[in-house]
Amino acid sequence: MRTWPRVTPFGEFAFLVELGDTFDDALAARAQAIADRWDLGPGIPAYTSVVLSFDASVDVDRAEDRVARLLRTEGSQAAARAPARLVEIPMRYDGPDLADVAAMSKLSIDELIGLHSGREYVAYFLGFLPGWAYCGRLDPRVLATRLERPREHVPAGSVGVVDGQTGVYPYRSPGGWRLIGSTDEVMFDPARERPSLISPGDRVRFVPR
Amino acid sequence: MIRIEAPGIASTVQDVGRTRHVRFGVPTSGPADPFAFRAAQALVGNAAADAAIEVIGMPFTFRCDTSRLVAVTGREVTVTVRDRLPSWTSFFVRAGQLVRVNGTERSRYTYVAVSGGIASEVVLGSRAAYPRIGIGRALRAGDSLPLGAARRGAEDAGASIEHEYDERVAAVAGPHLDRFEAAVVSRFFSEPFAMSAQSDRQGARLDGVAIAPKPGELLSCGVVTGAVQVPRGGQPIVALADHGTTGGYPVIATVVSADIGLVAQRAPGETLRFYRVERDEALRRARERDVVLATA
Repeated sequence: MRTWPRVTPFGEFAFLVELGDTFDDALAARAQAIADRWDLGPGIPAYTSVVLSFDASVDVDRAEDRVARLLRTEGSQAAARAPARLVEIPMRYDGPDLADVAAMSKLSIDELIGLHSGREYVAYFLGFLPGWAYCGRLDPRVLATRLERPREHVPAGSVGVVDGQTGVYPYRSPGGWRLIGSTDEVMFDPARERPSLISPGDRVRFVPR
Repeated sequence: MIRIEAPGIASTVQDVGRTRHVRFGVPTSGPADPFAFRAAQALVGNAAADAAIEVIGMPFTFRCDTSRLVAVTGREVTVTVRDRLPSWTSFFVRAGQLVRVNGTERSRYTYVAVSGGIASEVVLGSRAAYPRIGIGRALRAGDSLPLGAARRGAEDAGASIEHEYDERVAAVAGPHLDRFEAAVVSRFFSEPFAMSAQSDRQGARLDGVAIAPKPGELLSCGVVTGAVQVPRGGQPIVALADHGTTGGYPVIATVVSADIGLVAQRAPGETLRFYRVERDEALRRARERDVVLATA
C-alpha cells in the first residue's frame, strides 16, 4: 500500500513529488499550487505530480526541507489562488477526424460540436510543446482514443481530442490526438507580453465560428 | 562583432538556458554538453549568463573585429589561427584574424566562447536559440553578431581545463524505479548501449538490450535534463537540452549533471555504459566541477 505524497530525487538537482496515481481535477490543482509556491528553481506540475528543480547553488537539505514544508502547508493556501481567467478560443469544426469521433461516440456531428463547445475546460498543465495546454474534461459522451498511427505532421492550430481531454497544437508537429477542428489563434508567441495564450489553471472555452 | 565565415550545419548561440518558461512547455535549451560550454566560458572569464556559440558540423571559421580572448572546447576538436592550437585552452586572437575550428566524426557539439560573450537578442530571458519556435536560428555564413565588453585579455591566454570523454556515465536511479523489475534495473546499469544516429539536441536515443518497463500507463509528468526515459519498446532516450518539459515514459535513471555531455557527445554507433551513484555522490561531483571551473 502506497502513501501519498511521495518525494523521490530526480537526478541531483530536482525532486519528483507524486500526489497520487489516479488523475482527478483536485490533484492537478494541487500540483499547480505547489509549483506556484516553489521558489528555488523551476517547478513543472502535471496531472498528479510536480517536478521541483533547484539551482545548483542551493543546499540540498534546504531544498528538501522546503519541499516538506510546502507539502505540509499547501492545502490550506490552495484556496487563496486568484480566480482563474477565462480564455475563449474561436474555432472551426473542420478537422479530418470530426466524423470519426462523432461515429465513435455515437453522436451526430452537430451533437459533437454542441458538446465540445458547450462546456468550460480547465487547463491542467502545459507541456509537450510551448503553449500546448492539456485541457479537460470532455463531456463523457465524447469518446476518442489515440490514433493507432500518429500523424507525422499535424498543422499548427489543429484542435484535437483524446481520452477525455482536448488541446490545440501550437506548432506543426507529429501528433496522435484526433483532430476535430482548427483555430487561427496563435497559441504561443515569444514576442507577446503573455507569450502563451493559455496559462496553467485557466478556464478554456471553444467558440464555434 | 564576431563574423561567421563557415557556419557548420546547425550552429546556434546558446547560454545556460531558459528556465523561467518551462511551465508553459518551453524547453530550457542551452548547451547539449553543459560542462564543455561552461569550461569554454570560464577560460575566457565570461559570466554565468553570457552566451557562446554551439557548433554543429565542421569546419567552423570566424573572425572578430576587435582582439579577443577565445576558447574552444568539445570532443576531438582542433583550432588553427596561424598555427595549430590546443582546444580546452584560451588563446588570444587579433582583430581580423581567421580562426578555424575543425573536428572529427566524433565532434558532435563544440563550443566557441569569446571573452565578453555573444550579445545577441534576449528572448524570454535568455539568448539560448530554440529555432523550432523561431527563437534564434542556425548561423549562416556572413552573420555578424555583437560581442559584450571583453572580460579578460591577452595576459590570460594559455589557461586550460582537462576533460575526458569517458564511455562510463554516472546516473542516479529513478525516479520511476518501481516501474521496472529489479533484474531490468541491474541490466540497465551493466549492459552497454549504442548511440543511435537519430539522436539530436532533444535526446540521445540508445540501442541495446531491451529494458522495458512493467506493463501499465504512466501519467505524463515533468522531465529534467539527463532523465533516461524508457518507451514500451525498451530502447532508452536520454533527455538533452531541447527535451520536452513533460513526458509520459517511465524514467529508470537520471544522468548526473556532470556527465550529460558524455552522453551527448557519443557518436552514432559508439557505446556507453551507465553506473549507479547515489545523489550525495552526484552532488559532490557537481561541486568538484564548480571548483574546477571557478579556478580556471
